[in-house]
Amino acid sequence: MADLNETIHQPVRLRTMAALVTLKPDEEVDFTTLRNLLGVTDGNLGAHLRKLEEAGYIAVNKTFVERKPHTYISASTEGRKVFAEHVAALESILKNK
Amino acid sequence: MNISPSEAEEALASIQAMMTKTRRAISSSGAYIFLIIWGIIWLLGFLGSQFLSPAITGYAWAVLDTLGGILSAVFGIRMGHGVRSSSPFLSGKRIGIFWLLNFLYCIAVVAVSWPTGGKQMAMYIILFVMIGWIAMSLLISFTSIWPGLIITVLALVGFFLLPGIFYMWMAVLGGGGMIVLGLYIRSRW
Repeated sequence: MADLNETIHQPVRLRTMAALVTLKPDEEVDFTTLRNLLGVTDGNLGAHLRKLEEAGYIAVNKTFVERKPHTYISASTEGRKVFAEHVAALESILKNK
Repeated sequence: MNISPSEAEEALASIQAMMTKTRRAISSSGAYIFLIIWGIIWLLGFLGSQFLSPAITGYAWAVLDTLGGILSAVFGIRMGHGVRSSSPFLSGKRIGIFWLLNFLYCIAVVAVSWPTGGKQMAMYIILFVMIGWIAMSLLISFTSIWPGLIITVLALVGFFLLPGIFYMWMAVLGGGGMIVLGLYIRSRW
């Protein structure tokens, strides 16, 4: 049985990963869109994204679109894998209750 | 790290809710909106073609198609906003160019075969829209190919076997079918 992942289990990071793994592997989401989806502040999301990026679960791509800075975020292959393991661990807790 | 079953249940519910919200808001499943928009337009337009005079029907179709184009563009821009793909097939610009060329080719075919009856013209438009839908489905989401194929078959059946009620057929099965399918996809996702 896979263990729960402490980095991912924090509520905002859990919802962030849920949103990112819903996208196709070749898709990435704009910071503002993700912030609006999650209903959190810029600072709050930024802090949680840093934790996920440091863990290697997401990729953060800073670029310019029509001369304006944009930040795009996507789940990494490792991020998708550990998220799936975390979900499996949650499900096994429910099955064994 | 240990958590209680109720906390696990809460976390799973939160994940499920977020995934559903994301799919509806930004993923390609938002295509159901186009099915509903064009389903309503076909329903109203073909009912008009069945029951109103050709002069009024022509204006009605022009208004409905313009409205459909504007709504599709607005929803398309909103859908694409915030998400980008590294796949060249999914480039919004290329998709836009494809639909523009598809539209121009449809006009060219109508012009070449002019004079043409209302039913033939309706079939040209249906066939070009459906081949466009199927081409996009092959590139983006293979399962979306089925509505395109089913509507094409229904349109051909109505055109060749039921000419007297062709417009009514297309309103109910074509337009109505697209609305029902759009609502089904929305609820399923």
